[in-house]
Amino acid sequence: MKSLFSKILVANRGEIAVRIIRACKEMGIATVAVFSEADRDALHVSLADESICIGPAQLKDSYLNMAAIISAAEVTGAGAIHPGYGLLSENAKFAALCEKCNIAFIGPPSNVIAKMGDKDMARQTMEAAGVPVIPGCRKVKDLAQAEEEAEKIGFPLLIKARSGGGGRGIRLVKTMGEFSDAFCTASAEARNAFGDGAVYLEKFLHPAKHVELQLLCDKQGNAVVLGERECSVQRKHQKLLEESPSPGITPETRRKMGECAIRAAKAAGYVNAGTVEFLVDDKQNFYFMEMNTRLQVEHAVTEMVTGIDIVKWQIRIAAGLPLNFTQDDVVPHGHAIECRINAENPDLNYRPSSGKITLLHIPGGPWVRFDTALFQDYTVPPFYDSLIGKIIVHAQTREEAIRKMQAALCELVITGVDTNKEMHRKILASAEFRSGNYHTDFMGKLEGEKH
Amino acid sequence: MKLPKSLFQKPENPLEWYDSHIKNSMPDIPDQMCISCAKCKAILLTGDLNENARVCPKCGYHFRMNARQRIGLITDDASFEEMDGNMRSKNIIGFPNYDKKLWHARLASGENEAVVCGTAKIGGYPCCLFVMDSNFMMGSMGTVVGEKITRLFEYAAKHSLPVIGFTVSGGARMQEGILSLMQMAKTSAAVKRHSDGGNLYTAVLTDPTTGGVTASFAMEADVIIAEPGALIGFAGPRVIEQNMHQKLPPNFQTAEFLLEKGFVDDIVPRKQQKEYLTRLLSLHQRRPEHGSI
Repeated sequence: MKSLFSKILVANRGEIAVRIIRACKEMGIATVAVFSEADRDALHVSLADESICIGPAQLKDSYLNMAAIISAAEVTGAGAIHPGYGLLSENAKFAALCEKCNIAFIGPPSNVIAKMGDKDMARQTMEAAGVPVIPGCRKVKDLAQAEEEAEKIGFPLLIKARSGGGGRGIRLVKTMGEFSDAFCTASAEARNAFGDGAVYLEKFLHPAKHVELQLLCDKQGNAVVLGERECSVQRKHQKLLEESPSPGITPETRRKMGECAIRAAKAAGYVNAGTVEFLVDDKQNFYFMEMNTRLQVEHAVTEMVTGIDIVKWQIRIAAGLPLNFTQDDVVPHGHAIECRINAENPDLNYRPSSGKITLLHIPGGPWVRFDTALFQDYTVPPFYDSLIGKIIVHAQTREEAIRKMQAALCELVITGVDTNKEMHRKILASAEFRSGNYHTDFMGKLEGEKH
Repeated sequence: MKLPKSLFQKPENPLEWYDSHIKNSMPDIPDQMCISCAKCKAILLTGDLNENARVCPKCGYHFRMNARQRIGLITDDASFEEMDGNMRSKNIIGFPNYDKKLWHARLASGENEAVVCGTAKIGGYPCCLFVMDSNFMMGSMGTVVGEKITRLFEYAAKHSLPVIGFTVSGGARMQEGILSLMQMAKTSAAVKRHSDGGNLYTAVLTDPTTGGVTASFAMEADVIIAEPGALIGFAGPRVIEQNMHQKLPPNFQTAEFLLEKGFVDDIVPRKQQKEYLTRLLSLHQRRPEHGSI
């Protein structure tokens, strides 16, 4: 039997840092929180056993400051770093630095992150492994070649940046007439935003659902799928609400997608928790989009239906422990929904909001979970992501879960900052969402109605 | 509101899986991986620093760089051809411990001597290039350094090539006594003959350029540029202060101070040097009818 890490550094902030520290406390692992000067009073700082300031408020000086974070791990003697999501979680260079410094990076090996981070290479790897990919082409050299490929693929299509991700670096082109302009702008934008102007083309599937599969892979080569999550409620490619299981796929499709996800993981040499994202059309055809080599914001939905603690398994896998259950043991139960509570005002073009929380009431009751780093009198700083909490509910049926979420949202009180709570109530109330037959254009339609 | 540190109790959970026979591995940062900026004190990854031409990405401080790194930065890919690379110093006057010092210097710098000479292309223009290396006895000038630079100028004069020289030096090499001081005159004569042929010589003074090198070929160039913040002088500031019994101005002997006093022509940050030198070379190309290469 192997030993677990006795101390872990959490290289993140907000609700996910709190979530990881909680898992460590259950497992008897000591924790080190890192924080920026703007986060001195944050919950993750007081919850952790030790805490170290790693720089000024700006992300690049603190939470993205690799040298400072690695030094903090050395000073405190933390044998492992959990990067959470966002920030350094999909940074192959950071993972490689950890490897060099004898620090376990709780996530996949750096070469796997690099391979899946290059969207063009990921697509190729999946195609070779027999995973269906969206009709499209490899990275294009120049406009002439791009036009030729575009002709073959047909319109509408998407121009995507090879180094993009998280919904950035994507451009929709409806006709050949718009193509040359769009192509030039897209590659110039990609060069500016990611330092890499390479783009590739993909058919624009419409209408389609965004369905992703959660994987856990240990170092011994075992891989299991923990069911799927439906994430079609998105605004500008940012997810707002997720549910599991997906109301839009048949058991047969679910089984096929699961097999593909396992194949994808094996092809990539994947280790630790990861997510394979697919687009599913109305004929139940599904296509690989990308693989996220980290913990997802919406992991809690899967935890509720499977009863498996994904963060704890991430830590165990990184320590070299094998999974103690097989695919047959994973039996999703009931229905779970998550609403992301953002500090922003949907009526003012989603303007981010910050300030002091003057009153906070967190919804309770059976099967209601609220993951947050908020507390009464806490001041939400203006420097970071607007996600301030996640309500997750679990019930026997989808209908019951929607009712439970409606009740929980009404019980949630956050005063001092604007939130998107009302928008979630509208989503849950809409007939389209309730039918389960909704697509990635759902939010666009919902907001269109409003205006 | 600040939450008190002792607000949350620590749960009494033992480590979930534990084997007392296995020692927990501790983090260990390799020595070379991080470096602290001498000016702004920021901790930088050596890899990031090297990618940024050894200029601090936070404050712009110019770290010293070795000759090969500089050649890689300035010259066109694979265009550098070294000359006299095997020349090595000997302990001619039997100076105590000089042999040992030379051995250490070769080990520390990976070079045979404190200057690397050769021909190269910069922005497509052919030129002769010498780059001194501070890791070899602080770039001090002995007979071999003087000889290599002299030969380079002679080669350049013969082939009508411009010379670009990067200087970094603590001065003449005292372990070679008067012979090292002789190099000042010898190199100066070679620079003059090269100049008389109507050829361009540009010196780039980097931190630190002092002593006999400043007093000879470093300050004899047609165009003298310097790196920001470089220390440039003959005797060091402490020596001057003790002799003059006067407090020196705060930026005394910096590149900026020398620019103000007219001793250098321009200050060019490292990342712009290639472009700058390319422009200089393009302006000083001979017309074909005058018999250039």
